[in-house]
Amino acid sequence: MRNRNSSAVWTKSILLCICLLLFIFPFLMLLVNSFKENKAITSSPLSLPDHLNFSNYINAFDKMDYVSAFTNSITITVLSVLIISLLAAMTAHYFVRNQTKFNQYTFFLMVAAMIIPFQAIMIPLVKIYGSIGFLNSKWALIYMYIGFGSPLAVFIYHGFVKSIPAELEEAALIDGCTRTQTFFRIVFPVLAPTTVTIAILNVLWIWNDFLLPSLVLIAPSERTLPLSTFYFFGTYSVDYGPLMAGLMLTILPVLIVYLFAQKYIIQGVMQGSIK
Amino acid sequence: MITEKGLWNRLRLRLLFTGPTLFAFLAVMIIPFLYGIYLTFTNWDGISTSSSMVGFDNYLSVFKDTVFWKTFLLTLEYVFISVVLINIVAFLLAYILTSGLKGQSIFRAGFFIPNLVGGIVLGFVWQFIFSNVIVFVGKEMSIPLFSNSWLADPTKAFWAMIIVTVWQYAGYMMVIYVAGLMNVPKDILEAASIDGASLWTKMRKMTLPLMVPSFIVCIFLSLQRCFMVYDLNISLTKGGPFKSTEMVSMHVYEKAFLSRDYGVGQAEAFVLFLLVATITIAQVYFSKKLEVEA
Amino acid sequence: MKSLKWIQAIALMLMVVMIVAACGNKSGGSDKEAAVKITLLNSKGEIQSQLEDAAKAFKEDNPNITVEIIPVPSGQSPFEKASALYASGNPATITMLDTGDVEKFKDRVLDLSGEKWMADTVDRSTALTTFDGKNYAFPLAIEGYGFIYNKAVVDQAVGGTFDPASINTTNALEQLFQKIEASGKAPLIISPMDWSLGAHYLPLAYAGQSADTEAVAKFVNYLKAGTVDLASNNVFNGLLDTFDVMTKYNIDKASPLSGTYERGPEVLGKGEVGIWFQGNWAWPQISSFDTANGQYGFLPVPISNNPSDFGNTQISSAVSKRLVLDKEKNTAEQQAAGKKFLEWMVYSEKGQDFLVNKANIIPAFKNITLEAKDPLAKSISEYIANGKTEDSMSTLPADHWAKIGASMQKYLAGAGDRAVLTKEIQEYWKTVK
Repeated sequence: MRNRNSSAVWTKSILLCICLLLFIFPFLMLLVNSFKENKAITSSPLSLPDHLNFSNYINAFDKMDYVSAFTNSITITVLSVLIISLLAAMTAHYFVRNQTKFNQYTFFLMVAAMIIPFQAIMIPLVKIYGSIGFLNSKWALIYMYIGFGSPLAVFIYHGFVKSIPAELEEAALIDGCTRTQTFFRIVFPVLAPTTVTIAILNVLWIWNDFLLPSLVLIAPSERTLPLSTFYFFGTYSVDYGPLMAGLMLTILPVLIVYLFAQKYIIQGVMQGSIK
Repeated sequence: MITEKGLWNRLRLRLLFTGPTLFAFLAVMIIPFLYGIYLTFTNWDGISTSSSMVGFDNYLSVFKDTVFWKTFLLTLEYVFISVVLINIVAFLLAYILTSGLKGQSIFRAGFFIPNLVGGIVLGFVWQFIFSNVIVFVGKEMSIPLFSNSWLADPTKAFWAMIIVTVWQYAGYMMVIYVAGLMNVPKDILEAASIDGASLWTKMRKMTLPLMVPSFIVCIFLSLQRCFMVYDLNISLTKGGPFKSTEMVSMHVYEKAFLSRDYGVGQAEAFVLFLLVATITIAQVYFSKKLEVEA
Repeated sequence: MKSLKWIQAIALMLMVVMIVAACGNKSGGSDKEAAVKITLLNSKGEIQSQLEDAAKAFKEDNPNITVEIIPVPSGQSPFEKASALYASGNPATITMLDTGDVEKFKDRVLDLSGEKWMADTVDRSTALTTFDGKNYAFPLAIEGYGFIYNKAVVDQAVGGTFDPASINTTNALEQLFQKIEASGKAPLIISPMDWSLGAHYLPLAYAGQSADTEAVAKFVNYLKAGTVDLASNNVFNGLLDTFDVMTKYNIDKASPLSGTYERGPEVLGKGEVGIWFQGNWAWPQISSFDTANGQYGFLPVPISNNPSDFGNTQISSAVSKRLVLDKEKNTAEQQAAGKKFLEWMVYSEKGQDFLVNKANIIPAFKNITLEAKDPLAKSISEYIANGKTEDSMSTLPADHWAKIGASMQKYLAGAGDRAVLTKEIQEYWKTVK
């Protein structure tokens, strides 16, 4: 009995290992090839590099203006995520505690808006904001992320606020807190795990987003990391080596954060799913 | 319900709590969306300084645009297969990863990795793998299935899209299923084991019914994401070979920006929104009913 | 109450930030008494860093003008990006457009007919951007395409020195293919990208109709009107006959749609094939695989077996990228600075160096006598100098390459015969507005 069990465990583990290998294979390819010359990349994609050649990285780092792009990406991501989380939590809380018809319809509108294809609002969006001169800055982009990100965040918070007993808040109100104080002293801290979930989802989205920043940010000094990898795409061809190095440099910050915080991230996504 | 005194106080509270969010939401999503609908009634081409109203002409063109409906059907097929496969793979992975294996948290973390990068990057890397790496391996080891690029054959290119989609989302859905499975009470399962229930019976009678909420969430998420597929389409197959893998989002985009038929493209985006909204709302509605019955 | 104030402070800050950001934009635009900042929207991704260097060199000569280069991200068309910028009220001072798009922008850009460089442009280089007698665009680069041959391979195949002029009929081309095959190499590679087949190969059938560009334009109008019977058109059939020959000798004929662009320069450069259908922009990629000592050149695509037919000895070339100057949102100073930049490229030493040596561009100006260093540009320039050119079709409808490219891929893969292809092309033209 024990034997059979352990052999089953072994097969399971081996199968999982193979699966896992398939899952990270593309990233391995990216890593291995980022050290090779264009020539070697296309003619023998699987071979290991002869030696650790960092010239692609230096080239990419330089062309992408990495430091400035990185700073922009960080600023935009962090600010957007903080503001989305705070504002969405407040809105969701208000909706749950004041279930008027108006609030319910507004909530439903937000949920429905999640399936609007971005392409459908792209041109009207730039047309409207261009005409009032509110484009071409980080702030405009952050503001748009708040608009695009709030429906999902409100939706997730909404489910969780429902699970907080209203008695808790009533007790605080009786003790003389205002509604606002109650929210910040009691509700928001209780929502912390959900906030982590929402922050993670939004970080992954905003850090990697391409289309919206490409429309809003015009000046080179404002470029984010994903925007700066275009350097390696020509009209007809792709400059493989530096592109792969550039992509590695873009993924790396997320990967490092992920390695250190993976436990919380996985937990965060898990919690986010249980309504 | 907690109420506060005074109209002014109530209004101030409402503005403080919902004002900024609703303002940004309305100004960034709803107003441009409505303005976009207005544009569908004009013949504006995206650049000219003048345009005129054309009534429902653009919508008429949508119904006459056979390619739009062809790509929509193809997208339906793609969505159906992808959603089924994503959820099967994710559920199986989650099931194995909650059975108390050693190092299961490392595996969970590993399977989640594809979610860390954006669609354009994924598409690019996979395009490289399909057209260079796999062909290289196929030729070296003379495996006929792999020695020609999958992206060169309409059917195989379609499956390449599905493989990458499953790869991309299975890890995410897996995490949600893991959360659901961990909520299935262990003691009931153990009690059933003692009563001699087989693995399959336990699965069918206890685990699956308790997992219905997770299924609803996962199917909703995968439906929505697959329908909107665009990044992957453009960077993996570019709709090729000969437009055989062009999904509906890509067609809409090309209609508006490549064929310079902005009004029709915008109208198609709106029709697409209505269709997808109907499908996802129907899915949530019916599965909620299922949840109540189960 | 404390935390309420805190929230109000944050809300206030947010509003201030937004207002500052919004206003910051405007004041940024009006602050330019001495220093002028202009922008250039670049849709030729491969010369992005060269352009940035050119902007620096330009600043050395004109310390008060800063040129900022904005790229069109991959996956976006120049038209889309340019129209998004116009829609947003932030058009670049200088916008790089494909020839066919210039007309759409003509109400929004400056008339450049009075510029100094107009006198030095090569023949017909501004004809397609001239409307009502006014030229709206600066011709940036001439590009040409045809069969690129690897001299080492073809020399070996013919046993001596290969004479490119000897290939002037479909039969001569097939004999060359046979000789290359006999020498143990693959004759050619067809890169199956839709843009290569749809924007470059098939349009030869339109351009080859006549040496007179007016007649070609008429032919296109007849196509739109649906009054052309392509099935009985000699040039069209001749071009496809050549294509059939190419398909027969294609190194990838087992799976003709498998190849990527990157495979072309690799097999040509390494000498695994003798010929590749492509254009002079491919040089940087070929050179990284070069085994022929930099000896490459172009052959025209023959469309019949009569050497004197138009197209059999002419290489297809045209101005492919144009620069236009915005007149709506840019100030007079910015427009003047933009004009200065264009003039600088044509007449200053540094500007010419940028065009010819750095960016590998074939300039459309007679006064630039710098000789191209890369063999492909040199080969095209020679054809131009000898008057052996056929104007590439550069004002086709914007989705032509994608739609017809797909049809051509079908034909290449054998998923549709010539009748299907002909029908699809004619159907396509009927949908063009």
